[in-house]
Formats: sequence, structure tokens, C-alpha cells
Amino acid sequence: MTDIGRRTVAAPIVLTLAVVVGVVATVLLDLFLLWWVALIIGVVLAFALVVVLEPFTPDESRVGADGTKEEGSPLHKLLVAPMGLVLSVCAGLLTTWVLDLQLIESVAAALGALVGSGLAFLLFHRLSAMLALSFGAVMVAGVIAVGVTAAVLSFSGIAPFQTFARMVEFGTRPDSLVQIINTSTTYYLAAVAVAIGFKMGLFNIGVDGQYRLAALLAAAVGGYLVLPPVISQIVIIATAIVVGGVWAGIAGYLKVTRGVSEVIATIMLNSIATGITAYLLSTDRLAVQISVNNIATPPIPESAWVPGIPAGFLGSQGEIYGLVFLAAAVGFLYWLVLNRTRFGFELRVTGHSQTVAEAGGVDVKKMVFLSMLLSGMIAGLVGLPQLLGHSHYYALDFPSGIGFIGIAIALLGRNHPVGIVFAALLWAFLDQSAGILPFDDIPEEIAVIAQATIVLTVVVVYEVVHRWGRRYQQQQIGKQLGRAIEVGGEAK
Amino acid sequence: MSSTPTGGETEKVYAVELRGITKRFPGVVANHDIDISVAPGTVHAIVGENGAGKSTLMKTLYGMHRPDEGHIFVRGQEVRLHSPSEAIKHGIGMVHQHFMLADNLTVLENVVLGAERRYGIGRRARAHIRNLSDQYGLGVDPDRLMEDLGVGDRQRVEILKVLYRGAETIILDEPTAVLVPQEVDELFDNLRELKREGLTVIFISHKLDEVLSVADEITVIRRGTTVATADPATTNARELATLMVGGALPVPELRESTVTDHVVLSLDGITVHSPEGRPVVDDIGLAIHRGEIVGIAGVEGNGQSELIEAIMGMRQVTTGRIHLEGQEITGRNTLRIREAGVGYIPEDRHRHGILLESPLWENRILGHQTKPPSVRGPWIDRTGARTDSERIVAEYDVRTPDIDVIADALSGGNQQKFIIGREMSEEPRFLVAAHPTRGVDVGAQAAIWEQLREARAAGLAVLLISADLDELIGMSDTLHVILRGRLVAQADPTDVTPEQLGSAMTGAGLADADTKTQGDSGVDGTPRTESEDGA
Repeated sequence: MTDIGRRTVAAPIVLTLAVVVGVVATVLLDLFLLWWVALIIGVVLAFALVVVLEPFTPDESRVGADGTKEEGSPLHKLLVAPMGLVLSVCAGLLTTWVLDLQLIESVAAALGALVGSGLAFLLFHRLSAMLALSFGAVMVAGVIAVGVTAAVLSFSGIAPFQTFARMVEFGTRPDSLVQIINTSTTYYLAAVAVAIGFKMGLFNIGVDGQYRLAALLAAAVGGYLVLPPVISQIVIIATAIVVGGVWAGIAGYLKVTRGVSEVIATIMLNSIATGITAYLLSTDRLAVQISVNNIATPPIPESAWVPGIPAGFLGSQGEIYGLVFLAAAVGFLYWLVLNRTRFGFELRVTGHSQTVAEAGGVDVKKMVFLSMLLSGMIAGLVGLPQLLGHSHYYALDFPSGIGFIGIAIALLGRNHPVGIVFAALLWAFLDQSAGILPFDDIPEEIAVIAQATIVLTVVVVYEVVHRWGRRYQQQQIGKQLGRAIEVGGEAK
Repeated sequence: MSSTPTGGETEKVYAVELRGITKRFPGVVANHDIDISVAPGTVHAIVGENGAGKSTLMKTLYGMHRPDEGHIFVRGQEVRLHSPSEAIKHGIGMVHQHFMLADNLTVLENVVLGAERRYGIGRRARAHIRNLSDQYGLGVDPDRLMEDLGVGDRQRVEILKVLYRGAETIILDEPTAVLVPQEVDELFDNLRELKREGLTVIFISHKLDEVLSVADEITVIRRGTTVATADPATTNARELATLMVGGALPVPELRESTVTDHVVLSLDGITVHSPEGRPVVDDIGLAIHRGEIVGIAGVEGNGQSELIEAIMGMRQVTTGRIHLEGQEITGRNTLRIREAGVGYIPEDRHRHGILLESPLWENRILGHQTKPPSVRGPWIDRTGARTDSERIVAEYDVRTPDIDVIADALSGGNQQKFIIGREMSEEPRFLVAAHPTRGVDVGAQAAIWEQLREARAAGLAVLLISADLDELIGMSDTLHVILRGRLVAQADPTDVTPEQLGSAMTGAGLADADTKTQGDSGVDGTPRTESEDGA
């Protein structure tokens, strides 16, 4: 794109310049203005610098995710660049806000500006059009969802913006934050379990039954079997994985050998799991009386708990589930296996097209069974953060329905390991922040409306944007290869 | 390229007229400068090879997509068709190759479904269906259950559906593909009846003898454009075949023979049954040697696809054995067969060859996901796969900005070149090449032929299946004709003509060509089956 002969500024120098400008501007302005105003101005300045220096930055170091050199194209100007700007400002604000809980404000703002300005450079040069389109789609969907929820509120005679303000205020309190992180850990595991199926073109509706059964049996193992620390945690987790895997594996086996739709099979298995848990969770069998009107598996001894992380750095007395690291590891493994291994490749190929997979020598039936098995194994983990980090027994009131929330979150996060993180956090935030509404005589259900609208709009808007983006990309490539195709077409 | 109708009804207003229709898809031009005039009350046939653009054109006429350029006139009025329902409003109906009928409903219910407003769903509708059935001699009983009906009856129900909706011009897309000869005759009687009642029929086919027996006028499409209009009274199948295949292509030819006597792949009495238990590949025996290209000619649907899928382990072989250099590969799974050194250029690249939504370098891994450079142990070797993709792009002249674009963004020819590069990259011993130049532009076609020639010179054994007779004759060292799952004749590619081959493919025998029945492979020795040649 740039003339090699022209004077160029090496990319790292531009990056350093941008960061310096961003940080210095923020720190200086912070003396006179609110921190967030200062930060926005700082990051915008850094971004402007990157844009100005663009013609002088050599482009061999840049790799667009879909490889077409997009800079300078109208799409890049109209969409990718603004999206990069918005994202870098948001990232800066978020970083500052989180750090502000721990550090003094000016330091937090400076660090936030550092992150924002660095991202400004990276996003401007590296953000691919498709990714920017996805972000755009999510934002549009968010706006639509907020609009719909606001409309519902005002029809019900409730002032929408006060309500939203109230929710944001409550949802960002330290204790709420801890709760949000904990809930989203659980949601994340459920969503990854569902996403594995989706990647394969399978719809594992049975995550719900899988995790409940797995949690019950894992709790029973933990409660009855006293083992040394570390070993007992490993045994409990392994039990949950095995039970979840077996339960989903039944559906996979039926699909492979008998052609039973996994949707039907997992729905049925959900009901059966409900029956089995009800049967096992009685005082004659696995359960003991823990209070007047509640029974549960015997509490797991403390040596088998997974200690929480004190959330003092968020300003809260609460604890974050220790198994948040397990969720992170699962997310990383999901990404690694899917994108970097032969197994993941075969899984994705089968998900795209079974016929192509077959012709390419992929054993489709094996992949169907294995992915169902894996999905169930992850599903088995869903109940563990709660079990090992909080309740320590499986009681009648153990949370249920998380499997279905997982489906929505996987859709919202587009089956992407990072996308699902944000989707789970958003979902948990809405859950948590709606908790304040009954105190103001506002129905809590508006959070559910917001969640449902977001999922619907994300799915629809994303699909529309994705199609449009693909067509646009094809046109761009058509243009680049225009001459060759013209000649070919002429001859045809 | 102007089409001057040779029929006798030129003074009338045309039932349908297409002028300068051009339709582009990303990277390819599917139709360009199509001119067709269909006189009312006639059966107008549109013939062309597979992939010549017939279906694209009919979809344009039926409103399933809009042309990029050109005009459509119906009864002299220019129309813009945005959807099939608009096409029906203008009296154009279409019977698809694959029936769209619900088995568990009656004929009446199937016919009124979606057209309830016309005559209701009760007595009036039933009366109207009876009426139409009698008027056009379709013999359809509105109260029969669809699942009780045979293929021929189902087709008549489809035609009735279109008539019920008030169509005056009926498009039939490859209507005879699913019929047995007797049913074909019945269908043609129905078409003549429709014609007599003043309706217009557009009949799409690539079976020339059928076209000649039923059509009043024939338009030939080749490579996306109309090349000629012919009068069936004054033309014959050979002339039409020449028009369809065309003479202006780059000429596929082999230079000196590289055939050795080392057998690479041997098929021994291969029989494959369809799910219904009918033999679709029937006792085929073949031996393919190092440096030899064995071509198989045949009308589509005579067992070629099944034969290939059987060799590739994608379809179960009922009886018979397949050996690759002495090693039995019958019943192995596709991956093992590929690993043993078999390359595969599938006939339908979107269905079997390439992941449209994945970048090129990931497509490089496909089918080779157990060998370097694509993988290192259980890990995908991104660097290796990417480097090798770059090599394929350079060596096989794949026109693409880079290897990160999704395959869908490339034209069919470039996708095909990439597939061939991929299949050649493991230096296979044996290659299955099914329609390697289908839907590919002329430049890419010549390049693909050159690559096949080079590989052959290097000792590759190739099984070539194609609908392009010139390609088969030019590229094959040995040429077989397949008909109803059997190898019925062997031709010498040095002196057989496309016309002779074409007639052998339809069961009329190799005419006066240098015919010899196959002695070496124990295949049915009677190439002529005249009694079955309905036309």
C-alpha cells in the first residue's frame, strides 16, 4: 500500500509515540478535568496520531485476520477505524475503572491511557473488517435491545433511564461485581459445553441434565469419600467430568448408531436426569437432612473445598470462586483444541459440511460421538464452582436451568471463547443488577426481556452483517483480481 | 448469436422472450448474452452440458434470482420477476427436477397447498383438478395418497400443480432424469397434449435423442451463452452434440504414451448397490497402470459417481475387490485410502472438495490432516500448511490475493486449481479425477490438463471421469463407456469421435467406431442394447 521508497516510520516507533501521546495527554488533562474526560481525549489523540502516521507506517508487519489489505478502502474508513477508536476508548475506560478500585485515580488513568493508546495502534492496523463488523453487529444489537427494553418500561409507566441508572449503579457495587464474576464462571462453563456442540452442528440441549446429575454424584463422592486434600478435589472433578460425559455420550451414541436426533435424545435425558436426581436425593439413599425443610448430600469436608479468592481488590468482603481458573483453563483449552489441533480441525470441518468432511477422510460418526462426549464432560463441570466454592453440598435448591442459559450465552458469544466471556459477564450483570428493582417496585423481569432481546437481535443482526460482509469481501477480491476474471469471463 | 426461429410461427407474439440475459456470480459469469425466443404452443428444448448454465437461466426466468443485465418479455410485455410467485402471476411455472411433494398428503392437498385462494380446498378445487386432469390427459385422481404414486404420476402431479396455478408456460428442468423409458414416453405424450391445448413448454435436458423426439425447436447453450437454435426436423444428435460441446475449446491431447505395464489400481468385479438394493455399479473390472489415464464416458447418473465413491471408501462395495499396487483397499475408510496414496478431485467441489467458509490454507489441510506439512503430531502445523499453500498458489497459478481469503471468494476455476494442487501435493500413486474442468474457465482448463499430463508423465495413474467428450478423448490412454452401471464398450481414444462416443453412451453402440468388447475384465460383452433405446 505504501511506496517502499517513501520515508517510513517503523511500526514500534509509531506505537511508542501513540502511547506516549496518549498517556501524557491524559495525565496533564487529568489535572483539570474529570478522569474519564481526560482519558477519552488522550486516547482519541493517540488514535489520531496513528491515523496521521498511517501513510508512513510500513505494512509488512500487519496481518489482517482475513488477509486482504483493507486499509484505505471505504469499509476501513467508515467502519473499521471508527470501531477501533470506540473499542480502544472503551478498553481504556474499563481498565481505569477496574484499576481505580485499587490504585489512586491518576495512576489508574495513566495506565488506562496506556492500554487505550496501545490498542488504538493495534486496532487501527490489525482489526480485520470481519471482526469489526462483528463488534458493530453486537453494538447495534445492544442498542436495539436497550431500546426495546426502554420501550417496554415506558409502556408500563416506568421511567426507563432512571431504571437503567439504578441497575448500573447496583450492578457495579463491589459485592455485585463478585457475584457477577461467580455467576458468569458457571455460565461460561455451560456456554462452552454448548458451543462445542454448535461448532459441530450439534445442539446439546442436555447440558442442564448433564451438570445436575454430575454435580449430584460429585457431591455424593465428595461427601462420603474422605480423601487427602488435592486428591479429593481431583476425584470430585473427575467424577463430575465422567458423569457429564457419560450422560451426553448416551445421546451421542444413539445419534451415531441409531440416527436419533441429539435434540430429542438430550431433552429426554434431561427429564430422566431430573428423575434420577430426585430418586437419589432422598434420605434413604444419598441425602441427609440438613435443615427442617431441606435435604442434601452430606457436606463435603473442608479439605476438599476449593478456596476462594478474597475479593478485597474489588473492595468487597466476598470471595471469588477458586474454580474461576478452571473455567479460564477450559476456555483456553477449547480455543487451543479447536484451532490448533487436528482433532479440532476435523471437528470444525464436520461442522461446516459433513460431505466435505467425509470426502476428506474424516470419520464423521466418530466426531459426532466425541464432540457430544466432550460437550458433556465440560457440562459436568458447570455445577462445581458452586459446589466446591460455596454450598459444599447438593441440596434440593441447587441451581437449575443453567444449561439453557448456556445455550443463549453461546449464541450471544458466537461460540468464540472470548466472546462467551463477555456474553457470560453481560448475562450475569443483568441477572445481578435486576436484583435491586423489586425495592423500587419495578418488575425484575425486565432483565429477562433485555436478555432475550439481546440474544435475538445479536443472532439476527450478526447474520445480516456477516452475509453483507462476506459479499463485500468477495467484491473486494473480485476487484483486486478484476482483470483476470474479466478475461476468464469473456472467454467463457 | 441471434436466434432466428426456424419454426413456422414467427408472426405470433412470443410466449417468452429472453434478450441479452447476463448473470454473474462472485468470480464467474454463469450466463451471458442469452437470447431465446419461445413461440407459444410449442415445446422448446434448451440443451447444454452440465454446468453450461441452463439451470441458472431457468432460475432467472422463474424469478428465483434477477439477471444483472438483459430483458425478459412475456407475451410481448417486458416483465421484471422478483420472485417465483411473480413468475406464476405472469403465467410461468416450473417443475423442478426434484419433486416438492408431501408424501403423507393426498394429490388434492398437495396441489392446493400454497394456492388455497384460487379454488378453495374443497369441492371446487377437486372439480378443477379433475377438469385439468381430463383436459390435458394427465389421469390424476385428486384423492389418491401421494405415497401410493409412482415417479411418473408424481411428475404429473407436479405439472398439475403448475397448471392449477394458472401457468401457460411450463418449465421442466431435466424431467426425464428420474424416469424409466416407458415413463418418458408417457411424459412426452402429456407434453404433446399440453401443446395441443395451447400451452408452451420449456424443456431442459442434455439427453439429445429425447429432445429430438419431443421438441419443436431447440436452443443450444454452451459455456453460459446461446450458441445456436436448431430445428429438430433438420438436425441430428451428432450435430447437436458438436454444438453442445463446441469446437473452440483448447484441445486436450496427450503426447507420447507413458503407459507402463505396472498395474497401480485394479478393480475386480466391483458391484455397488443403491440403498434400495438396485445395482448402480454392476460388475466393473478395470486395471489402471502407472502413467496411464483411463477415461470413463457416460451420461450422468449411470454409476460414475457411485464407482468413484466406492473407490474412495465413501460408499460400501457390495461385492468385488479393489487393489492398490497389490494391496487390498476394499472396505478401508477414506482416510486410510487417501493415506495409501490416492488423490481425489471430486465431481462436486462444494459438496466434497472445499470448505467455502474457510481460508485457503485450512483447505490445504483437508484430506491430508494426518501428514506433514499440515500437521505435526496431533497439532495443526500452521506454518507448514501456510507455506505449502503458498507453493500451491504459485505452482498451480491460483489467482488469489493471498492464502487467507476464504475459498468462497475465489472463482470456481481457481478453487479447482487449488484442489488439484492439494491433491497432487502428497505425490499420490493414483488419482481419481471427476470432471476436473467442470465449471472452469478456458485458461484454467488448459492449465489443469497440463498438470494432469505432467503428473501422468511422472508415473501417476489416473481415473478420469468427465462429461466433456473432447476432454475424455484427448486426455485418455484408454477409454471405457459406462451405461447403467456397466462398462459396455471400450474405445480407442486415438480414432474415436465425440459423436461415436455419444451414441455409445446412450446405448446405441459405438456405431462404426473401432469397437471392441472387453475381454480382459470379464464385463458384459454386449455393448448394444437397442430394445431399451426408447427414442
